[in-house]
Amino acid sequence: MTRVPMEKKVLNENDLVAAGLRADFARHHVVALNLISSPGSGKTTLLERTLEAFDPSRRVAVLTGDIQTDVDAQRLARYGYPVRQITTAGACHLDARMIRRALEGWCLDDIDLLLIENVGNLVCPTSYDLGEARKIVLLSVPEGDEKPLKYPGIFFKSDLMVLTKVDLLPYVPFRLDAARANARSIHPEIEILEVSASTGAGLDGWLEWLEQLTKPEQKG
Amino acid sequence: MHEVGIAASILDAVRQESAGRQPARPVKVGVRIGEMAGIDPDSLAFCFQALVKGSGLEPLELAIEPGELDFIYLELEEP
Repeated sequence: MTRVPMEKKVLNENDLVAAGLRADFARHHVVALNLISSPGSGKTTLLERTLEAFDPSRRVAVLTGDIQTDVDAQRLARYGYPVRQITTAGACHLDARMIRRALEGWCLDDIDLLLIENVGNLVCPTSYDLGEARKIVLLSVPEGDEKPLKYPGIFFKSDLMVLTKVDLLPYVPFRLDAARANARSIHPEIEILEVSASTGAGLDGWLEWLEQLTKPEQKG
Repeated sequence: MHEVGIAASILDAVRQESAGRQPARPVKVGVRIGEMAGIDPDSLAFCFQALVKGSGLEPLELAIEPGELDFIYLELEEP
């Protein structure tokens, strides 16, 4: 019996493509963000409010993933920035190869910020690196404050948790303190923002967070 | 949900690694799966068994241990 030691990662193929993407993003000074949440927690709506608030001179592009339809791309294309829909036809997450294919024909030098909206799912997207600079998890208040404990993987890997639909707090049994504590019990350093895309509350904080992230690397 | 894809990646890696080592044949492959990897070991073992059938690699054992996600070793048997 011979035992051959291996250093090769099991997720090797995706990791290799993701590493290539990350190198390309770094070379072209693109900040890529991977937005992950359950279906219906407001990823597209937050992106709509974000694009709406941006100065038209900003060099932003959006990739949006869904199992079927280009409904989200249609919503997001209204703001005048380049948008592409990735339809996974069954796959429950985006992978690095889908991002590579979707970027074909786009000049990365013309993009400072790439917003990637993952397929609505708190589980599978966690395992697939897309070459992003940051993972962002959204948690809408009707979903409940225990989500970080039930789906720890994504809260562990995300740099930022955005609590969405906070205008609904008076109507749902969501405890902000518990949600924050639960997220920090999984990931003590996670940053936390609260927003309501309907009322606009907290959007300034979110835009400021994006500003800080893109500022030091902005191209001349 | 994506364990079948990971099982397929493991089998591909086994094929690649053992190709140059014939006539020795692979009998066991060891992988490490971290607690936060989002991969269910039972589900991975199930998918692996399903994919090994008819792959030409049968019988091939999968050993899963805790740790950072990695393909750690391949055991080959000399004829």
